[in-house]
Amino acid sequence: MITRNKVYNFALNQTTLLLFAALFVIFGSLAPRFLSPSSFQGILYASSTLGIMAVGITLVLLTGGIDLSLGSNMYLTGVFGHLLLNVVEVPVWIAIPGALMVGLAYGALNAVLVTRLKIVPFVATLGTLLMGRGLGLVITRSISIDFPDSLTGLRNVAFLGIRLPVMVMLAVMLLFHFVLTRTQFGRQMYAVGNNGEAAAKAGLRTTRIVAGAYVLCGLLASLAGVVAMTRLGRFNPNFAAGDELFAIAAAVLGGASLFGGIGVILPGTLLGALMIPMVRSGLVFVGVDIYRERMVMFAIVFLAVFIDSIRKEQMEKRERRTIMKVDVEGESR
Amino acid sequence: MVFKRNQPDTLASGKLSLIRHATQHVLVSEYFVLILTIVYFLIVWAFVPWIGNRSNLMNILARVWPLLAAAVGQTFVLIVAGIDLSQVAVMAVTSVVGTSLITESVNPILFEGNPIWGVLITEQGGILAGHPAGVPIAIIVVLLIGMAIGLINGTAIAVFRMPAFVVTLVSMMFFGAFAIFLTYSENIMNIPAGYTGIAMERLGPISASLLISVLLAVVAYMILGRSILGRWMYAVGLNPRTARVSGVPTRGVLIFVYTFSGFCAAVAGILMTARLQVGRPVAGGLDTMLQIIGANVIGGMSLMGGKGKVQWTVFGVVFFVVLQNSVDQMNLDTFVVRIVLGFAILMAALLDVARNRMAGSLAQTPSPTVGAGT
Amino acid sequence: MSPFLRFSTINKSFGGIHALRDVSLEIEGGVIVGLVGENGAGKSTLMNVLGGVLEPDSGEIHIEGTSYAPQSPRDATRWGVAFIHQELNLFTNLTVAENLFIDGFPTLPGLPFVDRRRVRRETEDALHSVQLEIAPGTRVETLSPGQRQLIEIVKALRRDARLIVFDEPTTSLTSKETEKLFGIIRGLKAAGKTIIFISHILNDVEELADFIVVLRDGQVQGHGPIGEFPINRMISLMVGRDIRNLYPERSAHDPGPVLLSVEKVSQPGIVRDIDLVVRSGEIVGVFGLMGSGRTELARIIFGLDPQRSGQIRLKDRTLSPGQIRERIEAGMAFVTEERREEGLVMDLSVQSNLVLVTLRSFLTRFGGLTKPGLIAMESEKIVEQLRIKTAGAGTTPVKSLSGGNQQKTVIGKWLLSRPDILILDEPTRGVDVGAKYEVHAIVQKLAENGAGVLMISSELDELIGTADRIVVMSRGELTGEFPRDSYEKELILAAAFRQSVVMSEETGAGGAV
Repeated sequence: MITRNKVYNFALNQTTLLLFAALFVIFGSLAPRFLSPSSFQGILYASSTLGIMAVGITLVLLTGGIDLSLGSNMYLTGVFGHLLLNVVEVPVWIAIPGALMVGLAYGALNAVLVTRLKIVPFVATLGTLLMGRGLGLVITRSISIDFPDSLTGLRNVAFLGIRLPVMVMLAVMLLFHFVLTRTQFGRQMYAVGNNGEAAAKAGLRTTRIVAGAYVLCGLLASLAGVVAMTRLGRFNPNFAAGDELFAIAAAVLGGASLFGGIGVILPGTLLGALMIPMVRSGLVFVGVDIYRERMVMFAIVFLAVFIDSIRKEQMEKRERRTIMKVDVEGESR
Repeated sequence: MVFKRNQPDTLASGKLSLIRHATQHVLVSEYFVLILTIVYFLIVWAFVPWIGNRSNLMNILARVWPLLAAAVGQTFVLIVAGIDLSQVAVMAVTSVVGTSLITESVNPILFEGNPIWGVLITEQGGILAGHPAGVPIAIIVVLLIGMAIGLINGTAIAVFRMPAFVVTLVSMMFFGAFAIFLTYSENIMNIPAGYTGIAMERLGPISASLLISVLLAVVAYMILGRSILGRWMYAVGLNPRTARVSGVPTRGVLIFVYTFSGFCAAVAGILMTARLQVGRPVAGGLDTMLQIIGANVIGGMSLMGGKGKVQWTVFGVVFFVVLQNSVDQMNLDTFVVRIVLGFAILMAALLDVARNRMAGSLAQTPSPTVGAGT
Repeated sequence: MSPFLRFSTINKSFGGIHALRDVSLEIEGGVIVGLVGENGAGKSTLMNVLGGVLEPDSGEIHIEGTSYAPQSPRDATRWGVAFIHQELNLFTNLTVAENLFIDGFPTLPGLPFVDRRRVRRETEDALHSVQLEIAPGTRVETLSPGQRQLIEIVKALRRDARLIVFDEPTTSLTSKETEKLFGIIRGLKAAGKTIIFISHILNDVEELADFIVVLRDGQVQGHGPIGEFPINRMISLMVGRDIRNLYPERSAHDPGPVLLSVEKVSQPGIVRDIDLVVRSGEIVGVFGLMGSGRTELARIIFGLDPQRSGQIRLKDRTLSPGQIRERIEAGMAFVTEERREEGLVMDLSVQSNLVLVTLRSFLTRFGGLTKPGLIAMESEKIVEQLRIKTAGAGTTPVKSLSGGNQQKTVIGKWLLSRPDILILDEPTRGVDVGAKYEVHAIVQKLAENGAGVLMISSELDELIGTADRIVVMSRGELTGEFPRDSYEKELILAAAFRQSVVMSEETGAGGAV
């Protein structure tokens, strides 16, 4: 009785891990080549941009908000990077921090709209999504932009066989894992997302905490943009359009809740971000074409969300107030 | 406290408050967006006379109809405090399935081997090509598909209590991928005139598109304003708990709303396909979704639910299209459009916040309840 | 030497109603004060003044001789005044330790990282002080209500509280947990803290308190050492004057046939073996303390909450659990306790609220369209009949109405459905005296016309003044039934308390009465 309960609880709480393991086993048994080191490396490399974005969106989701502007932010970062590298022709080590300023400003704007002007996050970031992309396109006049070798060469830098983009993603995840689990700011973010009113009553600076989430999300999106610049070497006018939705999907797959207060970077968001390229590459190994692959992937995401909602219902049942606790215990005996 | 208390008006500020009241009146007015659209149009007209040309006006209208159809469905969803991101995917599926059923010929090199080959399309074109009732049947089929997708969304949201945002997001991605999968992202051409004729203006600006869209809006208006469903929808959007206690079939209402949204999206897909004369698996797309939701937000709908009217949606859609068209016509960068649209959405949201604040400060008289219990 | 806490002639009124009248009190340091009084007696108001939530109209508070005028709850915290409320302010997604330190974590020297070892150690110590044997890393969502309450206490202690106010702390606790809580409160007293203990459960007060303060109608009716206040004296002071004329005259009459019958209804942990009938023309009052299961019973009867076993019948129809629509069609109506959350759609007009239940009866023959004219006419009738004061039923949002008129709107909405059985849960909470009378008059009229009424109230006077029969609930069970000619407050209260008397004497045999 108790053990079955425990297994059930474990399943409820570790849906991400179980799903990840299940997919891994399925693909591994269908296509042994999927289990090769080079295949893992490919998955990691492919997940680097998405992983960084997903960390940013996890922060915002924790506070109960949402950010739809990541893709535009990344594009605008690329545009400014292009201006700095190709027009002003500054060295890479200046251009990168310069481009990251875009993300900082982007995040700050979202933060002001949401926390000061009290616009619903969905609408606020929808507005900045349009404006950011528009601004970027005005500058590039809708032409593809290419990045110089001085930047793209960075993608081949590797340490212990781990390439730079992957390293950046892992570093970001590790850093924010520590920020969320070990710092006061991180823990307070969970508090605000769980019960904003109680957080304010407890004397937390809720506005600052929420604003911090948006600013960091903006900065991380822009970092993801830089990583994409080095990886791809070229941005089309519609680069990363809609990618924020994949980032949200990755975060949700990783166990983050859209209602705030729930979600972890390690292992949650990491697994979520790995899962999408993993499914992609697994399906390729299995021989599924690109068209079916996307459908299968979204079906898996749907399954994850479905399990999550059932989990939530179970937890609510457990939370339900009981009056005669003594009697309940008496009955179960 | 975030909000300032209303200061009592003094004599000296009387005149000022008169102006303020007038401004407030316009801002709070239901017709604000319409007024804004007209004023804006007139101003632009003064500088860019050809914006008022017959052909341009026709162009504006032609763009309004598909958007309006989808936006009306979205309005319903927003009123019950939901959101439907999957409308664009419905449009894409509609576009592909509808046209592939009736296309008069396809290039076998492009289509052979894709999933609908031999099912919906053969070397002779769509399986309903040339069939006298082909077009109506195709339309009914895609309307049913739209409703089915909406039904799936609604069931997940109402019965399994999944968050609307995620459900319709995943639904958008899945069915968007499905539409592309059907033809392996090939466009479908050679659509019979019976279908493309829907978008053709026959008498002045009057086209079947116009009639369909207006009819849909009128039906939606009747549902919202006059029917039991409409009253239930507002109640569910504002307070689902009270609605439940009062015997409102809340699940049924939610399922209806999402199904209706899917239906509207299918209509929008048909109208758009007819106008573009091509079945496109990427019809709709993210931009269209932003337009649909943006038009609603500009019209004054709240994402918190319980607020909104079909008139507002119409105003929002017209504003959106006029704005887009005017920027095009001014020979500005088309990219500027996005900036302006983004800005307009933010302004509309700010206006909504300000309105609520005004209404809140008027309605809230401090009246603490005595002895509210320990 | 000045006393630890002194209230001097505190006055507070809300729109002409005196919630507190010249309250003067002196409380010594290091004692446990039991504060008792009925709902609306002014306990909450007095404590809200103490906690900086409300500002008194006049009067002063001194703590240890220093003038104390808190502007906010945070002010009160700074002064060492802490409150343990019924609804707890904990973050359920965080651990116990994090909840204690959320407003300021100790960090590792020179680093921004939380010193987890120190947090754990200090939490362990703090938990030890309340004998709570749980790991600091336990998530709050997995804790019982009693354990959560202890964590609130630990929070208060960590902020160096000198005065701790417990507001109905035992209602959601098991008897074991209650005993433990009492031990801790006594420990706090031994450590020199001053305690104010507010409770409806007079046995608890008697067991714990050193001093008693009785409030009624915003005035101190009596205070002194516990030895001078046996429970029956507390009750008689709480109850006070005769207030029969506050309620419409209820003439004796013979009730008709049974309309509602509840048979052996149980839901584990909520209610057990409830048997109850309501007859035509009868007003049955349900009395019980907070947490006695009275509200939960009403919700089960109406199908809002699940029911494990038993039967509910309305007239000859057996109702299936959880079917609200079926109940409404069968003639049941339910005025819920939470008017704003479950009774009304606050942003909709009075009219829209009034017809929400009965919309189906306003349909044209075709197409599900409503008849606006008929809706306006019918709702206008109700507005007139119930004297709902509104600037225009069709346009005025119900949120701009006064509490009494809001409640009349809720009742009006159900009247339109011509119910055979009306269940009311705390129908006059937050309603002023005049409107209270009107609400009761409406209910009586309904009963005179043959409906059966089940009225839940935590105000005993209200039930005595209006009900034909009172049933008493305690800890999820019916513990007494009183016909109108044998109403005796002391007996009714005793029935409501009985369970807790038994509980505190029980030695683990497990059987309830």
